[in-house]
Amino acid sequence: MIELLDLVKRFGDLVAVNHISLKVERGEFFAVLGPNAAGKTTTIKMLTGLIKPTSGRALIAGCDVQAQPLEARRKLAYVPDFPFLYDKLTPWEFLRFTGQMFRMEEKQFEAKARTLVERFNLEDFLRKPIEGLSHGTRQRVAIASALLHDPEVFVIDEPMVGLDPHHARVVKDVLKERSLQGMTVFLSTHQLSVAEEMADRIGIIHQGRLVAVGTNEELRRQSGQDGALEKSFLSLTKQEANFNEERGQAAPSAGNK
Amino acid sequence: MNGGGSKFFSPLWLLLRTNGLQAWRRLLSFRDQSRLLSAAIMVFVAGYLWLAYLLFYKAMRFVSYFPGLGEVLVERMLFLLFAFLFTMLMLSNLIISFTNLFRNRESTYLLTMPVSTDTIFRWKFIESSILASWAFVFLIAPLVTAFGHSQKAPWHFYPITVTLILLFIVLPTVAGSWFAVLLARFMDRRAFQVAAITVAIGAICYVAFGTAPEQMQDDFEDTRVLGLMDRLLKRTDFAQNPVLPSYWLSSGVLRWLEGAFGSAVFFMLVLLSNVLFFGFLSFTRLGKPFYEAASVVQSRGSLFGHWEWFRKWRDFKGQRRYEIGFLERAFAIFKGWLPGDVRAMLVKDIRVFWRDTTQWGQTLMLFGLLGVYIINLRHFSQQLTAPFWIHVVSYLNLGASALNLATLTTRFVYPQFSLEGRRVWIVGMAPIGLPKVVTAKYWLTTIASLGVTLGLTVLSCHMLQLPWERTVMFALAITVMTLTLNGLAVGLGVLYPNFREENPSKIVSGFGGTFCLVLSFLYIVASVVLLAMGTPWPGASDVDLGKVLFGWVGFGLLSVLLGWVPLKLGLKRAAHFEY
Repeated sequence: MIELLDLVKRFGDLVAVNHISLKVERGEFFAVLGPNAAGKTTTIKMLTGLIKPTSGRALIAGCDVQAQPLEARRKLAYVPDFPFLYDKLTPWEFLRFTGQMFRMEEKQFEAKARTLVERFNLEDFLRKPIEGLSHGTRQRVAIASALLHDPEVFVIDEPMVGLDPHHARVVKDVLKERSLQGMTVFLSTHQLSVAEEMADRIGIIHQGRLVAVGTNEELRRQSGQDGALEKSFLSLTKQEANFNEERGQAAPSAGNK
Repeated sequence: MNGGGSKFFSPLWLLLRTNGLQAWRRLLSFRDQSRLLSAAIMVFVAGYLWLAYLLFYKAMRFVSYFPGLGEVLVERMLFLLFAFLFTMLMLSNLIISFTNLFRNRESTYLLTMPVSTDTIFRWKFIESSILASWAFVFLIAPLVTAFGHSQKAPWHFYPITVTLILLFIVLPTVAGSWFAVLLARFMDRRAFQVAAITVAIGAICYVAFGTAPEQMQDDFEDTRVLGLMDRLLKRTDFAQNPVLPSYWLSSGVLRWLEGAFGSAVFFMLVLLSNVLFFGFLSFTRLGKPFYEAASVVQSRGSLFGHWEWFRKWRDFKGQRRYEIGFLERAFAIFKGWLPGDVRAMLVKDIRVFWRDTTQWGQTLMLFGLLGVYIINLRHFSQQLTAPFWIHVVSYLNLGASALNLATLTTRFVYPQFSLEGRRVWIVGMAPIGLPKVVTAKYWLTTIASLGVTLGLTVLSCHMLQLPWERTVMFALAITVMTLTLNGLAVGLGVLYPNFREENPSKIVSGFGGTFCLVLSFLYIVASVVLLAMGTPWPGASDVDLGKVLFGWVGFGLLSVLLGWVPLKLGLKRAAHFEY
């Protein structure tokens, strides 16, 4: 469903993404982790067609993002960490706009939109201008509108930012259900607990390279570390200094787990 | 948006409808904020249209009285007007298209939607052309109407002229958007700054050394007037270059007025064919270059990165990463007067301004116009000998300086507080406190703008060879006006903040920005009138002390009301600001 074939991105003389190859299967929940400036967002930008790769290809459900952009985007949904919404529209109007952009039939739109509105508890906000909504509610509107056309591939950057625990749970449940129904989820996050809980496989990007890919268990084996994903992550990204420093500080909380 | 039963709309139509609805609701929220103020703004707009019409009408009648020359002069003025309009529209379109295409969240959002890049470009092209052109059309509307009336044009002259202008504005939009795509594709911020400064210096040098007017000799004054006029107008010949779109527009308008309909239709068809050709190219061929440029903008390394000397210099700079920056060292001079937190704030503001290319472009345009004005003062003053005209021109110069300042304060000072954006809490929660931040912004902008306005006013007085006491009077007046206009802009900026918007020109186009501009203009007009009343004219035998007192006290009170009061209210609001 998602194929990254030897993807490279250079910013001048800086190599931001360095020969990344990856295949994420249909219905797989894939989480990508990495330190700041590791190349996660750049990879997502190439995957969603926002920027052109220096070399290599990105495929969405078999469509080359650069060669068949419209076909790829019809099968794709992308929710960035701070999604764009038309401020003067209401959430319902925005949902309608999105449905029309994806050429959904009126009846189909109504049925799907009502279900999503109910699921994301948006009923009370449907007629209010988006500009007056909180960040969490805006995030829910963005996720609901992205799911409207039943995308085959769902790319989301930091989905839990601004969400309260209840709605964070709703988002996790909805994404997991959809992935079980066949939607491929590509999630980028710094919240290791989210990746640990949700992902079928996890990829770790460090300094532009995909340094490890696998299930939580496989990552543990690769890193030679036991316990939480945090240990595998820190070990694999070779941030020894940070690891030592954080191990000292995080020991009591780790002990509580 | 609520209508049901629709089949599939084209994406362009959906974008037009959605953004149209957004604009309409923005307008309604504008009205809902204060009906009284909205009505005041409407009255101001109507007043401008009426006054501008009267002024242009009288000026055109005056010029057309010159026997044999009036027609030539009016015709040349029209050619010049549209030629300058073309240039200004092109620059305006370049800046707005660049921001709209490459620094706009909607563009990024649309690039992930099932919309072709051609459609995105088409929508942004239409949006940019409206944003860049509406103000120019609004400004020239009374001029064109006055021209028609002064020439006793038939009723059909007006719809034809409107059609010609609407066709015409497509061409600078095409040029502006093409340049914007090229600029984004091939130039980074530093390269743009270097190029823009070079062009600005070149333009100022050209105006300074290449456009000196023909000197009039006494024996020419009464004889061979047409020949003399021809020489004097020689330098404006460029406006009549037949390859310029402004030439086709001017010729179309003039030929229609003369009743040469066939010739007018010819020029209209020339415009139409160019609009169709270049419009078609833009609508069908620029989607891909736009996408490539958008990708490059987000992927840019340094333009100079492939030069070894540049890489060495950058490495050298990198080794000195903990060194204090130039601005901090410059501001360290004021250590005794300014506390460290205020200096940090000022350095931050200057750096942010310097590094924002779009701010830069517009600043250059405004200062470029100012530069042309200053340089041309020397030519203007040579023709002035009568004390009456010197007096009138000195006040007009004061008004012009203040109007330039009002444009600057509304465009750059008013959005300063809003530009803190979602990060306002960083400065708000810092020990410095928001009121101090606002005060620092006020003094920074006031001192910076005072340098320009005071210099301009003193220079104008010097050119007019005014006595020193009048120079001091004008310097005092412009200082008070600078303090007031900055106080108004800073104060209203805090009272009507917009933290959602990151584009300063969009912040300015909101309610507070428009209100600030209207109040600034009203203040300037009232101040110039009051000061003219409060200053005895040269050679006046009896000085009416009551009038003098009324003028100066009125000016002082007005300045306090529109400068000090908004600033105080702004500071009060800042002290109790909720994040």
